[in-house]
Amino acid sequence: MASKKIDKKDIAKLLSLWSQQFAVFTPSQASGVATMAKWDGKDASFLDWYRNTVIPPKANFLPAMEEMFGFQKDREGYHIELLPSNERKQLIFGVRPCDAKALAILDMTFKEAYEDPYYLPKRSSAVLVGLGCTNPYDSCFCTSLGISPAQSTDVDLMLTDIGDEFLIEEVTDKGKELIAKATEVKKASKEEEAKAKEVKEAARQKVTRKIDTEGIGDRLLACFDDEDYWEKIAAKCISCGICTLLCPTCYCFDINDELVRQQGARFRSWDSCAFPLYTKMPMENPRLEKWRRVRQKVCHKFKFYPMNFGVIACTGCGRCIRLCPVNWDITQTLESVPVKV
Amino acid sequence: MEQRLRHEAKALLEQGKVDWIIGFEPGSLKFTTTPLITNDKNDADRLVINPFIVNNLANFLTEVKGRVGIVAKGCDSRSIVSLIQDNKVLRESVVILGVPCLGIIDLSKIERLVTKDRNELDDIIREGDKVVIRVDGEKKEFPTTQALFDNCLACEFPTPQEYDILLGEPKPAAPNLAQSRENIEKLEGMSPGERWDFWKNELNRCIRCYACRNVCPACFCQRCFVEETEPQWVLPVPRWQDNLIFQIVRNIHVAGRCTDCGECQRVCPVNIPLRSLAREMYDLVDELFHFKAGMDKDARSLMTHYEEKEAEEFFR
Repeated sequence: MASKKIDKKDIAKLLSLWSQQFAVFTPSQASGVATMAKWDGKDASFLDWYRNTVIPPKANFLPAMEEMFGFQKDREGYHIELLPSNERKQLIFGVRPCDAKALAILDMTFKEAYEDPYYLPKRSSAVLVGLGCTNPYDSCFCTSLGISPAQSTDVDLMLTDIGDEFLIEEVTDKGKELIAKATEVKKASKEEEAKAKEVKEAARQKVTRKIDTEGIGDRLLACFDDEDYWEKIAAKCISCGICTLLCPTCYCFDINDELVRQQGARFRSWDSCAFPLYTKMPMENPRLEKWRRVRQKVCHKFKFYPMNFGVIACTGCGRCIRLCPVNWDITQTLESVPVKV
Repeated sequence: MEQRLRHEAKALLEQGKVDWIIGFEPGSLKFTTTPLITNDKNDADRLVINPFIVNNLANFLTEVKGRVGIVAKGCDSRSIVSLIQDNKVLRESVVILGVPCLGIIDLSKIERLVTKDRNELDDIIREGDKVVIRVDGEKKEFPTTQALFDNCLACEFPTPQEYDILLGEPKPAAPNLAQSRENIEKLEGMSPGERWDFWKNELNRCIRCYACRNVCPACFCQRCFVEETEPQWVLPVPRWQDNLIFQIVRNIHVAGRCTDCGECQRVCPVNIPLRSLAREMYDLVDELFHFKAGMDKDARSLMTHYEEKEAEEFFR
């Protein structure tokens, strides 16, 4: 299929056009941290600084906190008050291939394992406009997970930076529809398509951090009971939630009720297996020791998720490495897993 | 200093004077270091001292069992002393390897100075009172006052207050309180309403990762009040109101223990200026009680100590 293109200067016009139909989200630092936030309606100046967001786009579908429903208490008991769902369909502009793949991985939990009534409506009505990565961080290792930083999968429309313009690939019918009426979108030439291909390959070459995923699940299982090994690996971890809460594929959540006088609400919010209380039960805590929690995190991503869904729950986005207070590095851990199988 | 550290650390392990060494080794990303916690003398050769040794390693002391040799900058040594005052650490179980500190380079400030991300820079070198950055074949120089962490600018005690081995010549203190308090002064200049809105906005993006708490040596509670369910003081839900209570109570709990090491702010993944709260509390403690945390291992812990001649009537 022939590709299209758009002048970078016209991106704001395109976003305006989409705003008529969607709630448009773009990379933004307005809140004080890089996240996919409601487009300011002004310009596309985020393109100047954007490499990737700190808060992954999963937050657009599984927010850090969300009110599930309200309830009222009276003499007869509790009365549930469902919240009106009048959210607009989301269009997220600028999703990186690692994060797009991460959403596909999250879908397996929220769509296949069970149907999550909060995640799914948001997710299935959303449109993703991908933006290829041309300047990956030194913490990125997506290529080891079978992802190329500018690949055009798991999105509806894919953009590749070819200089003053973006090359556009229509990945899905939804994506095709998005630009059907956009007068700014032009047909791309063969040369421009070739240029995009070059850019994609160059980006792939820039990812130098590697992990060896060959047989990783079995290797992890082989050293699962090696307490000394895991204690050493976990020694400097401070059990904060950064690597999990900000992981694009981590989906654990907690549920809490709040009742003030007669009026209450149920919330769900991100939770993390790094927290000791995560597995606290009335009689005991199977993961009281830090090394057990670190082991769980690593094994869940590289052994258990593959067992359940056939895919590694890591896309090499590198957030967990970049943001870690102690520079705990998952790639070093995986490298150090004893090779004996 | 680095060679001496490696030598001393190895000797301590070899002679059985300590079971563990806690120090820094090169990190996996540019301009980073990472905590090295080891009982293997061969690891001593990996120890480093450079302007990127950010972590306050005192945080690990309550966790590592046995006798520990620990690398400590000025502020870290005060955290260790504070832990000794609170009976969380025994003085005789630690061998403090003191690092006279010239201040630590704040990579976020560097990124803003050169409008590049840290991994796009070729080199960052400390040269006297300048920081030299090499980027895109160019050399850019900045005074250290623009490149160091705010808390380092305020540092009154760059040389450890308590140590067993001092790894270098003591460094004179040159605190620049005005500059280190710039953000705090801005806050103090606001009306209460403006300040309320400011913190509401900042704490609105907290995700409750608890990195600020977990990285803090003064936060040593076995169970944090935010995790209590009976009574439930705050919800674990990251609403700004609950986040605010979390930070206010945390700051009250570490009053008299906080050494302004700046770690809470550095580790925050969503850039909440937590040091503004911490430093304000630090200065308040100094003003009200004439107390600076972690200065004297034989002094009593400020907030757990009571005397009959206590000034406040209601205490008696």
